[in-house]
Amino acid sequence: MSTEAAIEPPPAGGHVPSIATSTLLRSTREAALKTPSIRWCDDPQVGSSSSVLVDSRETRKMNTYQAVRDAMSIALNKDETAVVFGEDVAFGGVFRCTMGLAEEFGRERVFNTPLTEQGIAGFGIGLAAMGQTAIAEIQFSDYIYPAFDQLVNEAAKLRYRSGGQYNVGGLTIRTPTMAVGHGGLYHSQSPEGFFLGAAGLKIVIPRSPIQAKGLLLASIRDPNPVIFMEPKILYRSAIEQVPLDDYELPLSQAEILTSGSDLTILTYGTPVYTCETAIHHLSQPPPSLDALIPQSVRSASVELIDLRTILPWDVDTVVKSVQKTGRLLIVHEAGRTGGVAGEIATEIQKRCFLRLEAPVHRVTGWDTPVALQYEKFYIPDAVRVLDGIIKALTY
Amino acid sequence: MFRHLGRRAASCTARKRTYSEFKHGNLPHSHSPITTDLEFFNSVRPDGQQIPTYRVLDSVGQPIDGSTVPEIDESFARKLYETMMLLPTLDTLLYSVQRQGKISFYHGEEATVVGSAAALSPTDEVLGQYREMGVLLWRGFDLDSIMSQCLGNKEDKATKGRQMPVHFGSPQHHFHTISSPLATQIPQAAGVGYALKRDPERRGKDCAVCYFGEGAASEGDFHAGMLLASTIPSPTLFIVRNNGFAISTPSSEQYYGDGIAARGPGYGIDTIRVDGNDILAVLGAVREARRRCVQQGRAVLVESMTYRVGHHSTSDDSFAYRARQEVEDRKKVDNPVSRLRLFLESRKWWSDDEETELKARLKSEILTAFKRAENLSRWELKELFSDVYGGDEPWNLREQREELGELLKKYGTVWEPWKKEREKFSGSGDEFLS
Repeated sequence: MSTEAAIEPPPAGGHVPSIATSTLLRSTREAALKTPSIRWCDDPQVGSSSSVLVDSRETRKMNTYQAVRDAMSIALNKDETAVVFGEDVAFGGVFRCTMGLAEEFGRERVFNTPLTEQGIAGFGIGLAAMGQTAIAEIQFSDYIYPAFDQLVNEAAKLRYRSGGQYNVGGLTIRTPTMAVGHGGLYHSQSPEGFFLGAAGLKIVIPRSPIQAKGLLLASIRDPNPVIFMEPKILYRSAIEQVPLDDYELPLSQAEILTSGSDLTILTYGTPVYTCETAIHHLSQPPPSLDALIPQSVRSASVELIDLRTILPWDVDTVVKSVQKTGRLLIVHEAGRTGGVAGEIATEIQKRCFLRLEAPVHRVTGWDTPVALQYEKFYIPDAVRVLDGIIKALTY
Repeated sequence: MFRHLGRRAASCTARKRTYSEFKHGNLPHSHSPITTDLEFFNSVRPDGQQIPTYRVLDSVGQPIDGSTVPEIDESFARKLYETMMLLPTLDTLLYSVQRQGKISFYHGEEATVVGSAAALSPTDEVLGQYREMGVLLWRGFDLDSIMSQCLGNKEDKATKGRQMPVHFGSPQHHFHTISSPLATQIPQAAGVGYALKRDPERRGKDCAVCYFGEGAASEGDFHAGMLLASTIPSPTLFIVRNNGFAISTPSSEQYYGDGIAARGPGYGIDTIRVDGNDILAVLGAVREARRRCVQQGRAVLVESMTYRVGHHSTSDDSFAYRARQEVEDRKKVDNPVSRLRLFLESRKWWSDDEETELKARLKSEILTAFKRAENLSRWELKELFSDVYGGDEPWNLREQREELGELLKKYGTVWEPWKKEREKFSGSGDEFLS
């Protein structure tokens, strides 16, 4: 895809201004059906994108929560063992991701649990250990820590410790994540980095409705326990034409969103759009920033990559990109120390040492909690990403 | 006045009659009657006494007055006894012959574990803590498999040598693999129970059975599991072995209430306390508990009162925190094995000769299995890296496996700690060198 189309400057006060107008979002049926690496699950030729089958497919405009709901509806329809549960999911969920599912599939399959995150995770592990499909919800990723023991000691290790005799591949934990503008300490966190050391788990973060549906269906059907983190600010703001059929997008595969030759930006979730805005400002700075952007970097060609799967992550795509560009900037909302960027930077430094023309740069949240009134200065917004780009390019 | 409060299981008519004592009606959306008495209550018994303990046999193996001996025939009773006897024999032998000092079973809880196992259907899904090997033995998990897991050799299907001893598991025996973190299996059991309820083949036939100790019941996962199994009705049978100690901590430092049983009613769960050293009481209580569990599709709690006669594990010296005499007394006065033996003898189902023969046979079988297992090599070294994920092996694991291979090529024949260790594995780790 290309970002050449004009992007509007951010509205006053908007901290993720480009979502509504992003060219990364697929607003036409044709574009939606051509989503890279899409795999139609009702296609007799697995992985085929033959035009006959594609031409007859329909799409519908959906935001992210509707796409998540659509994925769960397909999972429940096609798999009798699948159940959806968590706090407040029966009435539709606090973010509406499970709207109407209880009415459609019955309270035996879509039900509320008592307010206990460790219980929700443990209950899901039990279901999955019996070969059933458990789609659990943790209401905010900030509240996943009571389930940390169940996820890290139990779900992640169950296949290994039982010599492969048992597994909890049927378990998927969905949880809203990242900042939302006013979430403060406990409705804003990005805890993905805490799970990096939990070998046996997969962690997936989508950036859009099409991605959410395809990656969620792939997560539900993956033979491993998956934590699926949904950037909550995108639930309503990111809107795409989404294919109505059953399709998946591959896990552990990053996606190159814009191709470039001077700098690689690697990110995931909400900051995908921040980076898009920053790249735009680089070549066409708004008047207020004009004096601050050196002429020498304005024509730089930036490669933007959405990592999508955090664990196990797609090292090949990132290495290939950095071998080409020689520069890497990693952007995530979570704090810097112990964050995902540190892990990736180390691997890239090892693999691309001779090609690197600048240190790997990290633009991340600060090593503080996400403070309510300070959020705009906490998150890696467009100007911070832009500054990172300039530093990486001018090193 | 608060009699009914401790009796959630009371019939509706009884409850209505009691409620009529209250003149002021009920709270809206609640059965709670309005009262003018400023009265506090504690625990679940209105008379201030502790929850009673269900018993069938006295300490010399005779049915006590008014008790009902559960239906058992001679061969069943003998199987109970022989399985019980297997546990201490295994323990004693492994304790003395194994070299690393890492293997330990237990004494004193034979009746709870074997008696409850015998009350279950062989297809009930069991999730244990780690003192429930008797369930596996009752279900026919053989001595070779026990030894293989404890020694971590190539026949250890349960863990491929990855977990510490006594962390058994066998899908064939419907016994979920044990893990060390305490109480994690409790909410999982609620999920297993719900899965059984949703499975058309097993609904109304099987239940999930979850064992844990009274110490584990202090974990948050106990609360979560009880709550889930009751609120999301699931046929889950919770069996808590209250043996008086969690390592060094006496139960008096574990809780202040009336044991674990007193918590059951708080979750709306049918609950019973049983004499855990009386195998017939355990058998009878668990049979009935299981019947309710499967029939109602709801959780049931059984607290089995016993005493941990052995040390917590081989790395524990329990005489550091309790008197040796106390333990010796308990072994004599309230021994679950001798109580059943005396019962069998009174029915002419057992004799001294048979006792001698059984002891010799068990010892010899265990020794044979041990010697066989001892001589088996471990799995292949490459199994260190398998089964972390299902499906494709991620690049990081592939690279790390290759990295170990390079290191083994370089140092594997000269670095003594690796050189010696390699020989214990099938193929001596040669698969890394090719």
